[in-house]
Amino acid sequence: MAMENLAFLIPLLPALAFVLTFFLGKKLPSGGAIIPIVAIAISCVISLAITVGLLQNPENVVTQSVHWFAILNLGILIDPLAAVMLSMVTFVSLLIHIYAVGYMSHDPAKPRYFAETALFTAAMLGLILSDNILQLFICWELVGLSSYLLIGFWFHKPGAASAAKKAFLTTRIGDVMFLAGIVLLFSDIFTVYNGILPEGVYVLQFSEMFHLIPDLVAINSTILGMEVSHLTLVTLLFFGGAVGKSGQFPLHVWLPDAMEGPTTVSALIHAATMVTAGVYLVARTFPMFLAAPHSLIIVAIVGAFTALFAATMGIVMNDLKRVLAYSTVSQLGYMVLGLGLGAVVGAEAVGISMFHLINHAFFKALLFLCAGSVIHAVGTHDMRQLGGVGKVMPITFATMTAAALALAGFGIPGTSLGFSGFLSKDPIIESAYLYATETGSWMPYLFAITAAFLTSLYIFRLIFMTFTGKPRTDYGGHESPSSMTVPLAILAVFAVVFGALTRTSFYHFIEENFAHMDIEALAELGGYHLAHHGHEPLLVLWMPLIVAVAGLVIAYLIYNRRVVDMSSIVSRNNPVYKLLYNRYYQHQIFVEIFSIKIIYEGLALAGFYSDKMLDWLVNGTSTLLIEAGDSLRKFQTGVIQHYAAAVVAGVGLLVVLIKLVMEVF
Amino acid sequence: MIPLNWYLGLSAIVFSIGLYGFMSHKSGIRMLMCVELMLNSANINLVAFSSYNDDMTGQVFALFSIALAAAEAAVGFAILMSIYRMRDMINVDKLNILRW
Repeated sequence: MAMENLAFLIPLLPALAFVLTFFLGKKLPSGGAIIPIVAIAISCVISLAITVGLLQNPENVVTQSVHWFAILNLGILIDPLAAVMLSMVTFVSLLIHIYAVGYMSHDPAKPRYFAETALFTAAMLGLILSDNILQLFICWELVGLSSYLLIGFWFHKPGAASAAKKAFLTTRIGDVMFLAGIVLLFSDIFTVYNGILPEGVYVLQFSEMFHLIPDLVAINSTILGMEVSHLTLVTLLFFGGAVGKSGQFPLHVWLPDAMEGPTTVSALIHAATMVTAGVYLVARTFPMFLAAPHSLIIVAIVGAFTALFAATMGIVMNDLKRVLAYSTVSQLGYMVLGLGLGAVVGAEAVGISMFHLINHAFFKALLFLCAGSVIHAVGTHDMRQLGGVGKVMPITFATMTAAALALAGFGIPGTSLGFSGFLSKDPIIESAYLYATETGSWMPYLFAITAAFLTSLYIFRLIFMTFTGKPRTDYGGHESPSSMTVPLAILAVFAVVFGALTRTSFYHFIEENFAHMDIEALAELGGYHLAHHGHEPLLVLWMPLIVAVAGLVIAYLIYNRRVVDMSSIVSRNNPVYKLLYNRYYQHQIFVEIFSIKIIYEGLALAGFYSDKMLDWLVNGTSTLLIEAGDSLRKFQTGVIQHYAAAVVAGVGLLVVLIKLVMEVF
Repeated sequence: MIPLNWYLGLSAIVFSIGLYGFMSHKSGIRMLMCVELMLNSANINLVAFSSYNDDMTGQVFALFSIALAAAEAAVGFAILMSIYRMRDMINVDKLNILRW
């Protein structure tokens, strides 16, 4: 099919749009938004065509490769996993770009905005279709750069500038781990080949890496008295990169601050690009994780903990966007948990995690864009000042409610009826139950189910506080222009029906990615015992729905009917509230204790001593020279006769010396 | 013929007298004169070796040396004259203006 030959255009067109918009944007109407929109629309068409082609014939994987240096290459790999990601990213990014025409209409720096979002999309697309880990890393860094530029888009605001810096530095910790993983992997592959890499083999290509897994598992080294497989180290380092990019505990601190950028940027970061990169990386290298002992268990624990941890903070935030930000962290925790559950369910884990990722992209983009619509019309994002917005903005209210229902996960267990969030979160929770029964570790299941309850609670708290009841302040407001509401409506349709329509075919499609791999053998290498879904108790199937409804009812009673006086609970004296409201003092711990006390003051102390030493060196040198000069000065009497005496003595000495030398030789 | 050693001995004596005078006297004029003595002791050597070896080079060299000594004396006297004008004395012990 001709479309496959155009695959290289998918990231290239937005990249080109970046350059064009950057230089020509000022001369075009609305900041040249048309350039990235057209470019991404074409990318979207190509991606969808390739995806449809793959759906009909899963063998039809697109691979193109340009050789680069002797052992590295630059290539494209579009298998089912990449195809669904490409389609989702281009589609969501396209809608966000169209929406941004309306949302950013008052901003003077529009050309820069559209150029940077185009670059962001290009970097993410390049990351997805990389066929080797080095190219993926390059695009990974480009994604980080774009996010830095966009979070700090309003760089004249100190908050935005520091949020951009925080995002950049925090994800950098992960990036360094990722790079270390690549270096370690490369050196291990070198060892496998006994130092002679075969001609024409590009060892950092994914297919090649997976091919070498059995050899890599065999390489061990001892760390702190423990025998650790190098593959475990490599995968954990990769996961470290994913923790940074995908906002997992403890590197999630940048994500909530990332809303300092325009709301459309938050939507882009939280739904389509950036945060999904980490999940995608783990999914992409999943066979390695599967063969690495303990890696997946750590992935599952980190994911489950993040899901609950972020959700607890989501329920106390008063900022519209901040609630959504913690929701993203929490949902990313679900995705990572889903991948980690591969320890029990095998390759299916990639399917359930990716399904949640895609569905989440739709409803989270929708949530953010609705929030943006409210902010655009009302001018504030403090929920305490809002209320009754639903009457003024009916379309935004309707679409946001759809998104909230999707996020909270409403649906009928055992059928394909339900909002997409239900159909994708449910398998994760069910797999967590399976994990619990197989391994006896209940922590992921309990955390996931508690997080599901809190998710429902905080999102309906947001809905009730913002859209229902009476206005708390005089904010005016109006429904947003159609360039904003049309993307909302499209996303709302996807958020509601996408999951139900694609559910079964999606899993089959993703499993094609592993069709030629022996999953059981890989799991044995990793020491995992795979299990299959049996008949879970009815309560387990219904549990996610029960907690979601419970969350909705509690939110309704407290925030709409006001049966409980929140002001008595929401006080600075309540230690639990205080802990949550201050976000577990992470900022303080990170900034004041870790950064300032340990790093900053540590550096200062080190600086003090190195200053001392440098001072001693420099001052010592100068003192030595001055002293030497002083003592030499004494010889210079200025009296001619002394000089004459010195000359005579010198000549005499010279004569004696010459005489002696002559005698000896 | 007078042996070469005698000339060398004379030269050494003249040189030593010059050196002693240069080191011990305080008057600039006398020091200049002592320098002349030392130069002349060298000239004696040059001429003696020249005639002993039947080679004219030494005598020509001695002429150069005498011319040079005359020039040096002229410059030296000029310096001493200006020092005298400035300080009203030519006692070299007190003249440490070469020192910075």
